[in-house]
Amino acid sequence: MSEPLAPIKTMSPGLIVGRVWTLAASTFTQLVRMRSFYFILLFALLIAAASNLNLLFSPEQKLRVIKNTSLGAMSMFAWLFAIVATAMLIPRDLEDRTLYTILAKPVSRFEYLLGKLCGVLLTIALALGAMLILFSVVLWFRETGIIAEQRQVLESSGRFSEQEVASELAIIARQGVGWNLLLATWAIFLKSAVLVAMTILISTFASSSLFTIIVGATFFLIGHFHKLAFQSLSADMDESTLITVLGKIIGLVIPDFRTFNVVDMVAVGVPIAPGVMTSMSVLALFYIVVYSLVSLFVFFDKEF
Amino acid sequence: MSDLAPAVEVRNLTKVFQPSFKREYIVAVEDLSLTVGAGEVYGLIGPNGSGKSTTMKVVLGLMQASKGSTKVFGSDSGSVASRQDVGFLPENPYFYKHLSGEETLKFYGKLCGLRGSTLKDRVDEMLEMVDLKNARTRRLSGYSKGMLQRIGLAQAMIQRPRLVILDEPTAGVDPVGSRQIRDLIFKLKDDGISVFLCSHLLEQVQEVCDRVGIIFNGRMRREGQLEELIAIEDQTEIIVKGASPELIKKMTDLAEADATLIRTGRPRTTLERLFLDEVGRPDPPRKSDAVKQAAKQDVSS
Repeated sequence: MSEPLAPIKTMSPGLIVGRVWTLAASTFTQLVRMRSFYFILLFALLIAAASNLNLLFSPEQKLRVIKNTSLGAMSMFAWLFAIVATAMLIPRDLEDRTLYTILAKPVSRFEYLLGKLCGVLLTIALALGAMLILFSVVLWFRETGIIAEQRQVLESSGRFSEQEVASELAIIARQGVGWNLLLATWAIFLKSAVLVAMTILISTFASSSLFTIIVGATFFLIGHFHKLAFQSLSADMDESTLITVLGKIIGLVIPDFRTFNVVDMVAVGVPIAPGVMTSMSVLALFYIVVYSLVSLFVFFDKEF
Repeated sequence: MSDLAPAVEVRNLTKVFQPSFKREYIVAVEDLSLTVGAGEVYGLIGPNGSGKSTTMKVVLGLMQASKGSTKVFGSDSGSVASRQDVGFLPENPYFYKHLSGEETLKFYGKLCGLRGSTLKDRVDEMLEMVDLKNARTRRLSGYSKGMLQRIGLAQAMIQRPRLVILDEPTAGVDPVGSRQIRDLIFKLKDDGISVFLCSHLLEQVQEVCDRVGIIFNGRMRREGQLEELIAIEDQTEIIVKGASPELIKKMTDLAEADATLIRTGRPRTTLERLFLDEVGRPDPPRKSDAVKQAAKQDVSS
């Protein structure tokens, strides 16, 4: 009999990372070949339309429309993709028995789940990155054009000093390309990453993709409103009432997704404090790790 | 892991399921024991729902035993490391339809830790083995059932395992595809690879297996060497070629003198063999070809 080809020590760190990367790359390929990136074309059309809107807006409002439209579309793409694409991965692998052939290889269930998580995150990150670049380029061109136009208008009027012109142009520039766009994109990514981890958790015990999508979307909505809802319901109640306790449990299980809503601030040009970004990143990491550990716990004993 | 250990060792395996929201229990496999020796082709046969696939899934670590133990080359089959020695082809596999045949093999090869030129050479070798070199860049969504089954066998073999587990390897495959898979199993056997297969296609099992276990309602009914199991102990078969009617008469008279003659006649081939012989033969000239030829000559003259 011929000699074995593959390494004997299957649990070495290098091989574990290699397997996770193989699964992540395959998930990325799968999602790309599902033509999910067509959304970027749609996005390009949307920002082209937004940048050519010549309504009775002030110069800074024109830039704000581009930012609002673009960041809104990016945000919608990210959460929709995080739920729908993730919900299809594990149930489909199970239905097609692809999962059997993967787990029959020297692949642990932890590696499989981590590979799927990384694959979806990689896809979302690259898609958001592409959209950010596209939208920044459009915004920069528009910003440059508007500033040049405004400078000419202000200077030719002869009523403003050089300092006043510079101050006016700075107000417009604040609505243009800046680091805040990157921070807003990072916030969108973090929110979708939490959603991906949550959807993977749901799909480890769900019986179908449809069920996963419905439950995932419901949790997403709850995550936006639970704090407000329970605050108004428990306003007149003491700490021990059932509603208050229930509110606290739900608040712990599902994060307050409004924490990630910095897009509106960026759209109006309000600077974001570094502390906000740090706490947001820590919160997202916490939920990703917790959801992933629970997913592993459920998936570890699952029988196929 | 030991070289002397059997390829598969199942000891007193019991698997019980409890359907969701029900109090009753379903015993899928009960106190089942079997051994697949190294280099042996073992067939586990039984009707649908008899516990064949459940036994395989426990051996592969996809399910846990309720009682008993399963080992692969001496290692607990639930451990991830034991699967480096195992290749598996499930019943009706689909794989990732978005990948081509070549990409599929690379994907599974990488999961087994193969890289670089080793992986590339092995992928080429496997595509050659299963006769899919011409379809290597075609996506699996365009593969026929038989091609999927063959790429499935190639992925099972990608890391050169010592044991291959096949669950209904020819289910839904036409006779030609079925023959190709049968030939591949013979090749594995020649290479010293142990094969553990489940099937309810008895004729095929009879052709390829050294040992057979018959499972019914989750219990092992009979197990042993195939030749011993199917031999009818108190009967003898003599097959002669070119015997004259006189000689046959003499032989039947002799047999009837001291024993009971059950049957004389010509041995029969199987329907599968007859079909494969017929479809494998070159096409005879068609009548329509002769008509076309005549018509051509008429036109030219």
